[in-house]
Amino acid sequence: MINPLFKRVPKNIKKDWKKYLILCLLLLLTISLVSAMYVGNNSMERTFADCYADYNIEDGHFELKDEPTDFLKGKIEDEGIKLYPQFYKDFDEDKEPFGDADGTIRVFEIRKDVNLAAVKEGKMPTGNDEIAIDFRHAGNIGIKVGDTIMVGDSKMTVTGLVSFSDYSTLYKKNTDTMFDAITFDIACVTPECFEKLDADTVWQYAYQYNDRPETDEEKKTLADDLIPKVAVLAATGGYLDDEDAAKELADNVDIWKAYLEDVQDKADELEERGDELQERAAKLEAEGKELKELMLKGEDVQSKAADLQKRGDALKEEGDALQAEADALKALQPTIDEYVDNLEALEPYEDNITELTDFVPEYACQAIHFAPNDMGSDKAMCEVLLIVFVVVLAFIFAITASNTITSEAKVIGTLRASGYTRGELLRHYVSVPIMLTIISALLGNLIGYTVLKNVVIFIYSRSYSLPPIKTYWDADAFIRTTVFPVVTVIIINVVTVAIRLRISPLKFLRGDLSLRKNKKAVRLPKFKFFTRFRLRILGQNIPGYLVLFAGIFFVMVLLIFSVGMPYTLDKYMSKADTFAIADYQVILKTTEDDDGNRITTDTATAEEFSMDSLSTVSGVRVGEEITVYGYSDGSKIFDLPYDLPKGKVYISADYADKFGIDTGDEIELKAKFAKDAYRFEVAGIHEVFGSLSIMMPNDSFNEVFGNEKGSFSGFISNKEIKDIDDKYIGAVITRFDLMAMARQLSYSMGGIMDIFSYFCAAMAILIIYLLTKIIIENNAGSISMVKVLGYKPGEIGSLYVLLTTIVVVISTAAAAALSYYFVAWLWRYIMYGMAGWFKFEMDFLPILKCVVMVLVAYTIVALIDLRRIRRIPLTEALKNVE
Amino acid sequence: MTMSEEKFLEVSNVFKAYGEGDSRQEVLRGMDFTVTKGEFCVLLGPSGSGKSTLLNIIGGIDSADEGYIAIGGDKLRDMDEKALTQYRRKHLGYVFQLYNLIPNLTVKENIEVGAYLSDKALDIDELLKTLGLYEHRHKLPNQLSGGQQQRTSIGRAIIKNPDILLCDEPTGALDYNTSKEILKLIEDVNQKYGNTVIMVTHNEAIQHMADHTIKLRDGKVRKSIINENKISATELDW
Repeated sequence: MINPLFKRVPKNIKKDWKKYLILCLLLLLTISLVSAMYVGNNSMERTFADCYADYNIEDGHFELKDEPTDFLKGKIEDEGIKLYPQFYKDFDEDKEPFGDADGTIRVFEIRKDVNLAAVKEGKMPTGNDEIAIDFRHAGNIGIKVGDTIMVGDSKMTVTGLVSFSDYSTLYKKNTDTMFDAITFDIACVTPECFEKLDADTVWQYAYQYNDRPETDEEKKTLADDLIPKVAVLAATGGYLDDEDAAKELADNVDIWKAYLEDVQDKADELEERGDELQERAAKLEAEGKELKELMLKGEDVQSKAADLQKRGDALKEEGDALQAEADALKALQPTIDEYVDNLEALEPYEDNITELTDFVPEYACQAIHFAPNDMGSDKAMCEVLLIVFVVVLAFIFAITASNTITSEAKVIGTLRASGYTRGELLRHYVSVPIMLTIISALLGNLIGYTVLKNVVIFIYSRSYSLPPIKTYWDADAFIRTTVFPVVTVIIINVVTVAIRLRISPLKFLRGDLSLRKNKKAVRLPKFKFFTRFRLRILGQNIPGYLVLFAGIFFVMVLLIFSVGMPYTLDKYMSKADTFAIADYQVILKTTEDDDGNRITTDTATAEEFSMDSLSTVSGVRVGEEITVYGYSDGSKIFDLPYDLPKGKVYISADYADKFGIDTGDEIELKAKFAKDAYRFEVAGIHEVFGSLSIMMPNDSFNEVFGNEKGSFSGFISNKEIKDIDDKYIGAVITRFDLMAMARQLSYSMGGIMDIFSYFCAAMAILIIYLLTKIIIENNAGSISMVKVLGYKPGEIGSLYVLLTTIVVVISTAAAAALSYYFVAWLWRYIMYGMAGWFKFEMDFLPILKCVVMVLVAYTIVALIDLRRIRRIPLTEALKNVE
Repeated sequence: MTMSEEKFLEVSNVFKAYGEGDSRQEVLRGMDFTVTKGEFCVLLGPSGSGKSTLLNIIGGIDSADEGYIAIGGDKLRDMDEKALTQYRRKHLGYVFQLYNLIPNLTVKENIEVGAYLSDKALDIDELLKTLGLYEHRHKLPNQLSGGQQQRTSIGRAIIKNPDILLCDEPTGALDYNTSKEILKLIEDVNQKYGNTVIMVTHNEAIQHMADHTIKLRDGKVRKSIINENKISATELDW
């Protein structure tokens, strides 16, 4: 026979349908959202994983300064890789109506071998004035198939919207802090059209290993080995018979050439001076002969002879000095011979020499990996929210069950006295929460797999250029969104109900549900009666109020995040004027003009500076790019002392914050494409934000990186530099570029966050409604009793609702403060996984906005509570449990 | 009459006190009596005489400080929590003054709650008819009068055909006529099913329908009377 108590289950649900409906809706909503997030993310991740085979994604790519010769390409391919040309040209892009450029478009030839593109709308271009552009960028700025856009000076028709398998995230440079799907675009054209487009070609090659690695470790080992080899091959034009010699050559070729030039100059100078000495010696000899003749004629030549002697001695001294210098130069001969020999070895390769300007192994390519990695971090965040929310809801269920036990104490006593076991009653009282959780979880998963999954994919497609996504069944998602909530609800409810049922049948029959023996009333100070009354009510309802606090904290975390994120981004962008080092950083291709003169600028505030980048080897993010600045003596922009000993550096405040570095600490960085390690001592923290950087005097910079004294990279200025010919400019970094991260996040998340904050306010109403309802229900008997005694509704409200109001206000204020720190911690955790750094920021006003939202939600609930209290019948206090 | 029939329920030198120190109150002070199988026994006494406490100890939901209670020779003090539950499940039916019905189960379902505990349960429809509740079987407790609710609670107790039916002031909340109806019902049940009935009451009139009356005062048995001339519940008057 089935336990007849289970016949109560549908009746219990029907009796409290509002409460259970809200709980189910909250569970359903959360589980469906998280399920959708998991399924959507996992489907996208699986699709991304499949892309490697479906679209033949590269193992990496690199860029050379010049087009490599076949010889050099062959030498590079000898390192166990196959090269695929992937040349591109960057242009200004402008959509109709034409005017100022809207951004940059990077144009490739249509790929046929690696990094293939998927056509999402339209078709691939076939004509010389046709182009297919990135699907996401097109969506972001409103370009459609058939539209006309300007690519540099060429007007082109968009024939298709595509997603490139190696550009799911639109990173202009792999070292950029953030992708930019708004002002950066990727496109492909026919080979003929590419040829026709007028711009400098960037000689990029994608590569795949002949023996392709499978694990990330293998990929990293291979790339660590390959990068310096390609760099050396490029620098030596393919000379790599002896690896050590080649590396030495690559490292020293410029130094040796300069040395030999210096030696040659010196030799020329000595020769010149030797010729001059010989001329003067011949002249002295002639004068001596004349003097001798005069002396024979009997003339007095004593003073002239003395002068001649003096000049002769001086000439001899100069001759000796010259000889000494010549001897010294001669002593250099073995070195010179060695350098010459070395350089001679390089001579056959001279035509092949170029320079490796960029190298990005696939595993480190942000354009390929950012989107799948972001999905991972979003899942982690969702998991935290799911855990917190399920635990809160499980406690709400447990408190509901506990209150039911209280109200049915005598029935339970009777059943226990009749022979019902604790286990039978336990199963009965936990059956409703477990059953509802199972139903909500199954329905939630159903909705998550169908409707909401597409919403999640849509949200991601606002940021990323996704390939067509296939849906995959995900056991992990099922465990997390179904098994976990059900198990959590079972554990929390079973434990809570089991503890409640530990009371003896007799105590149940007497309605004495206290677990503690000899419980004594706490003596209260001589407050007013109503205050003491409220404190007693508080004491009786501590578990309910604790869960109320937990519920408010949970809602507040969501609210602080949803209000705080756009606020942080806005704040970050609005502070751009103050936190970046300077408005413009102009990086020169060469620091000498065509005439060999040092390039200068008349722009006020412009200063020479040097720039390079290294990467971190330890700390919260390995491989984080750190910009290295060399500042000039007396720099007003950097405003740092120049007499800093070599090896000591200043670091930016963001670098210090992200990696937890302090003054006096030692930092270790490494070169991007080599194994060279650099160690610095932190002399101080420079209050510049927006970049992770270290700063040192330019002389130290040149010494550290082996540059010639006086070398520099370009100019840094707070005014636009207009007097340098574009042909000498390699790159210009503006504040706008530093804003890319915030701009993209603001675009992709800002709108959603606004909607999310109102969703949180609605959730606040539901959770507070539910929890205060439980508290009032738990006190229905007492409320009824004070009504019987003649208390007016206002007085009852002041006892129960005012107390709850005080608890809610204090909980909201405390939860706001705690949530702020929790979200700030969560934000740091999220940012650790991303390139760059900016802190979560919220001023008092936005936090107050969150508090007000919760309190407004509570005001609505309080009005409902007052009505609910008025409706509690007088007979409640007197009636039997029926 | 065999020995086991003679001493189906044995209450031996039972002491029970509540509280500690100054607030300690002795409720039972050496209670001794026996009840035979099938007997209708009334525990009669004023408020505070210890009759409900004694009933609770017999029911295994409270325990004696000293002495013991044995049912069919099995001492309750030797039983652990699990065994006590099984004891209640197999042997006892409980009827309370305030019915303690499950509010959202119908009359029939409330009685099924009792039936579930036994593998020798009585026929429920027959019992409903016996109880006069057949027409009301689909009603919820709050649709019933006090008498009907108490009948339901009696039905829940006896459906499993318990060896002992414990009744704690079953008419305490009912009017005169309804009380008599309930008493008649208990009498009928006792006669029809042969259960041992132990009823706690402070109503002296009820002793006249019992086989055995035990009068209690200050936690002790003052009188144990075997009623040779018992009358039917319908003849009672107070």
